[in-house]
Amino acid sequence: MSHELIIFLAMVVTFAAGCFALKLPVSISMVLSAVIGALVGGQGIPLRHLVEGTFSYVDTVLVITCAMIFMKVVQESGALDALASLIIEKFHKVPALLLCLIMLVIMFPGMITGSSTAAVLSAGSIMAPVLMLMGIPALETASIIAMGGLLGMIAPPVNIPAMIIGGGIDIPYVGFELPLTLLTFPLAIFTVLLFGYKYVKKLDYEAIKLKLNNEPREKYGFRIFIPILLALVLMVLNKAVPSFPSLGMPLIFLIGAAVGLFTGNKIKVVTVCKDAVQSVLPVLGILMGVGMFIQVMTLTGVRGFIVTSCLSLPNGLLYVAMAVAIPLFGAVSSYGAASVLGVPFLLAFMSSNQIITASAISLIAALGDMMPPTALAGIFAAQVVGMKKYTPVLKKCLIPALVLIVWAILFIIFANQLAPFIVLK
Amino acid sequence: MITLIYRGIIGLVLVFTVWNLFTEEKVTNQANAALVVIPMILRLLMIK
Repeated sequence: MSHELIIFLAMVVTFAAGCFALKLPVSISMVLSAVIGALVGGQGIPLRHLVEGTFSYVDTVLVITCAMIFMKVVQESGALDALASLIIEKFHKVPALLLCLIMLVIMFPGMITGSSTAAVLSAGSIMAPVLMLMGIPALETASIIAMGGLLGMIAPPVNIPAMIIGGGIDIPYVGFELPLTLLTFPLAIFTVLLFGYKYVKKLDYEAIKLKLNNEPREKYGFRIFIPILLALVLMVLNKAVPSFPSLGMPLIFLIGAAVGLFTGNKIKVVTVCKDAVQSVLPVLGILMGVGMFIQVMTLTGVRGFIVTSCLSLPNGLLYVAMAVAIPLFGAVSSYGAASVLGVPFLLAFMSSNQIITASAISLIAALGDMMPPTALAGIFAAQVVGMKKYTPVLKKCLIPALVLIVWAILFIIFANQLAPFIVLK
Repeated sequence: MITLIYRGIIGLVLVFTVWNLFTEEKVTNQANAALVVIPMILRLLMIK
């Protein structure tokens, strides 16, 4: 057994013991496993490397935090309620389309933050009662929200796993929009119809109407949607007009949030900001832990060991290894899976179009958010609908997860044939 | 200009993180918040 494998096993065992035996938060378990990995690797306690590791995700931390502040403002101002009531009012006669639009609303925060947790906790928690009002049972609702969260995290414009994977081989995050759209939206439609359509075939709009919150829409009219529209415009403005300076996602979200303070219900801005930071702190801590974990893996040679192991796999086995290993590593974190395994698998498929391949691998990496013990999307989705256990949600999502893996692998296999049509730079 | 704005954003996130650190009841959650605070302080002071 190689020295690197022993270090890796020591890290994994420490992580599992921290999470399951000691019931520590995932972030703390990761810090412990990083320290143990460094000790086993003969590096002592490498404080500089541990701190260095936390910097891997500082930009991501800012995006997630500012996005959550934006989402809380949008939520408190009544814009999400208004959006839900608008969609249901306009599309209740076409239940399949209505479900697809609700799925889009669930995905939306994930699309702009790159975090499935943001989607599940914000739009997911607002749409859960609506879905259940429509007659969809709690388990199916949780499954829709969990899958919506992780597909939203992968859908454009912001896909952090794809950025991490691309960063590993110096691909700029350009030209990913269409591949990511084609990878995620068909799956989102499939998932929501699979879980929800049979319950909403005969929708009683009059019964639902009474329970919808129409007040913000009636009171504020179109202006309630201005923060969302402004954020969307600012996101695409730099691409449409290159002379306009790139503001960056955190600033765009804060501008949207600032505007949102004046377009709807009155908001206690300090309380909202504190709540927003509090709700994302577990995710931020995990990112810090993942950074340390990966830094120590790199320091001790474990990362190189994993890369060479992946590259030396025969072609046929590569797909199987990718389909199994990446979601399993997601037990640590989907971002960690993208970083540690996504990059070597992308290198292994070097002959395929790199943008499509990176997009497809990021889709598989997203499944990590369903994987216990972290299972951010799944656990929060279960909580949102009031379920005590998360395991039924995991079981329910098995079919869409398998379809997702097959869909991603098909994109990798046909990447070169698809590239001329879907990679627009 | 944009650097100053982003330092301001980091300062804002740092303030709310530290606030949460002190209002968290569980020690493990406080440790989790402290993990986030470290890089924020270093980045705010432009040390790293």
